[in-house]
Amino acid sequence: MLNQFAISIDIHAAPLTLFTVGGFSITNSFLTGIVSSILLITVFMYVSRMVRAGRYNRFVGLAQWAFEGMLGQVYSVIPDKKLARKVAPLALTIFFAMLFSYWMSVLPGLESVTYEGKAVLRSVAADLNFTTAVALVVFMTVQFYAVRAHGNIGNLKRYIRNPLKDPIGSFEGFLELIGEVSRYIALSVRMFGNCFAGEILLIIVSVLTSYLAAVILPFFMAFELFIGFIQAYVFFMLTIIFTSLAVESHGAHDEDANITSVDHSPSDTHPRAAVQSE
Amino acid sequence: MSNVLQQFASTEGSGDVMSSLGIDWKMLVLQGVAFVILVYLLNKFVFPPLMKAVDDRQAAIEASTEAAKEAEEKAAAAQDEIKAALKEAQQEARDIVETAKDEANAKIVDAEEKAKARSEKIVKDAHDQLEKDVIAARKSLHNDTIDLVALATEKVVGKAVSGDVDKKIIAEAVKENA
Repeated sequence: MLNQFAISIDIHAAPLTLFTVGGFSITNSFLTGIVSSILLITVFMYVSRMVRAGRYNRFVGLAQWAFEGMLGQVYSVIPDKKLARKVAPLALTIFFAMLFSYWMSVLPGLESVTYEGKAVLRSVAADLNFTTAVALVVFMTVQFYAVRAHGNIGNLKRYIRNPLKDPIGSFEGFLELIGEVSRYIALSVRMFGNCFAGEILLIIVSVLTSYLAAVILPFFMAFELFIGFIQAYVFFMLTIIFTSLAVESHGAHDEDANITSVDHSPSDTHPRAAVQSE
Repeated sequence: MSNVLQQFASTEGSGDVMSSLGIDWKMLVLQGVAFVILVYLLNKFVFPPLMKAVDDRQAAIEASTEAAKEAEEKAAAAQDEIKAALKEAQQEARDIVETAKDEANAKIVDAEEKAKARSEKIVKDAHDQLEKDVIAARKSLHNDTIDLVALATEKVVGKAVSGDVDKKIIAEAVKENA
């Protein structure tokens, strides 16, 4: 029975290469990523056109409501409205792209389409290349705005300080450097882990429940849809929080820290506290 | 179950950690570029109209809020003006009543004074008239007395005395008797 079970489950942490183009391996997750991106662009082009024409229906209203809510989140986390406006497209794309990619993993029969015995479609959010690439894009964007806000030297001083003049600050900078690296690793691995685990969960549940899968699996799928939304939201929020923290002036931060320590304000109201709690 | 785990371990553990997790630098760059293109396309064609719609709605909400606030301020100002006008009118009414009362009192006092003066004048006139009448009566009585005495004296003496002498004597007699 165990052997039969082993044959039924075919799990790969790495995406499978379907074919190569100009030396680039085209994987099943990349292909799904392209499909989900086209789907995302199509859906939002439709919404955008309808909004521009002033024609609203329930779906357009829902999409615009979601868009407005996310945009509001960006404005509330980044106080500088100009900067928020610049970061918003990236953050919003991350949210919707992650959401679409994650939800693609919940599509029934996604892995049943095969080419030479390999699943043609696989959620791109379950590909560490994609999540790492997005995390790197976020990292570069955050560093770009940090350099613009503090200058090259000012930005470097966030991590490297003279240990002879300011030993505690130097240690803090070292911790900040480690934190900076770990943040983005966590950002990519969290999304990959959740989506990959979700896929495995659905496969295992479908195998274990056999014919009952038609009844039981929808509950797990609904749960995965919810997890997908949460993960996309976390990725989106962390992107804007990292940006907000990077451009935050040190003076303002110290002042805030003092206020927090005196007032014992709730830590979850501060972006830094939100990151630490992550 | 152990077979499953062994199969999984043998499949994924054949290379280093990166390759077992599927990290491929070329694919990573390709995914990154694809994502940047997606951001660009959405930012270029999709987000601007949606952001404009959000901005327009926000502007409309702000304008409505501003208008409501302005109307509220105007209403409050009008209320204040009404209150001030009412207060002023009440004050004016109070002043008018006060002035009317003062004028009425003054008129009453004046009328009283006038009446008093007139009555006093009437009394005085009456007194004067009375005095005049008394004097006239006295004079008349005096003359009548003189005439009577002259007549009596004439009848007693039997002859008429000349008028001037007669009158002189009678007057002296009356004076002595008075």
